[in-house]
Amino acid sequence: MSVVGFALAAFVLITAGATAMLRDTLAVIIVFAAYSLGMALLYTLLLAPDVGITEAAIGAGVTTILLLVTITKTTRPAAEEIFAGINWPAATVSAGLAAVLLAIIGSIPAGNFLGGTTPVTGAAGTPGEGVTGHYLASAYQQTGVHNSVTAVLASYRGFDTFGEAVVVFAAGVAVVLVLHQGDFI
Amino acid sequence: MSDIDADAETSAEADTDLDSDADFAPDADVEFDASDVPDADTNINAGINVEFDPVRPYTESEIIMTTVRIVTPFVLTYGLYLTFHGANSPGGGFQGGALVGVVVLMLAFAFGIQPTREWVGSGLMSGLASGGVLVFVGVGLGTLALGGTFLEYGLYEPFVGSDATKWGMEAIEIGGVSAIVSGVIMGLFFLTAAGYDSEGGDEA
Repeated sequence: MSVVGFALAAFVLITAGATAMLRDTLAVIIVFAAYSLGMALLYTLLLAPDVGITEAAIGAGVTTILLLVTITKTTRPAAEEIFAGINWPAATVSAGLAAVLLAIIGSIPAGNFLGGTTPVTGAAGTPGEGVTGHYLASAYQQTGVHNSVTAVLASYRGFDTFGEAVVVFAAGVAVVLVLHQGDFI
Repeated sequence: MSDIDADAETSAEADTDLDSDADFAPDADVEFDASDVPDADTNINAGINVEFDPVRPYTESEIIMTTVRIVTPFVLTYGLYLTFHGANSPGGGFQGGALVGVVVLMLAFAFGIQPTREWVGSGLMSGLASGGVLVFVGVGLGTLALGGTFLEYGLYEPFVGSDATKWGMEAIEIGGVSAIVSGVIMGLFFLTAAGYDSEGGDEA
């Protein structure tokens, strides 16, 4: 990863910490939007533009607006301190999870991250060589689309995408029911 | 009566002449008596209302309105581009649908939630969301009816030519996923803005 990548990673870590630590809800939402924007740029830098666009639109955009609309329905307690106290049991669990994730990442050869020439997952010798390599090699020939992500989503894994789309629909219906509204007014 | 309830009703009363929202029945507003609430409490709530009005969380701002007026056409165009060009470049139905939905959210932030809600109409949102599911199911069940498996696009070749797989994927991305996502995002926003309705909904 380049200097820009490490700077973005540091930015994401700092904003994530601030999201967890800040006391004022409005400040948390704004910092969380900045975190999502940093993640979107990081995804794009790591050659995952589809995920980056999604993170920017949903994480930085829609989620922020929905959270803002939600806190307008609450009162805003006057905050004396800027940061909340640390919840040690939760912090311990989070640290444990982070340790597990780091151990998994550590088991992947470091050259995949630091060499500057990140091998495409699915290339010979990397995890997922079989199925990913097959998709990358034959997506255009078999489906006729150039974006192999779309090919996997809509064709190879079309049934999964169907479930995903229905989950989004069901989420909308569930909110209608929970809020006792008759419709998407 | 909790502070939040009192807060909501006070502002509903204040907004009666502006707010055509039928959630608050007129007679409920008449019945509400501000003297129920201690004076000090009323003052605190009145102060909060300036910043966070639960019924109309909207402040008219020339800066926001001008910005949204300029940016919106580009966001809408980019959203449609992502949707329709997702097969050959980064993007797709999900991202494009989200951006198309965000256009409506931006309009609501700039020009007020209630006018935008009336302009969009609930039919468009539920139509997009349920229509998208129907398109997706239809494309999938169509291949089953032709004797194949779910979403086996190749079976449409007799009808749309040799690019059947590509057209099938475009159909579920554009007509299915992007419609569902844009409809649900608009709906979630207006639902969250409307909040919990203790009177409404179908009785179970």
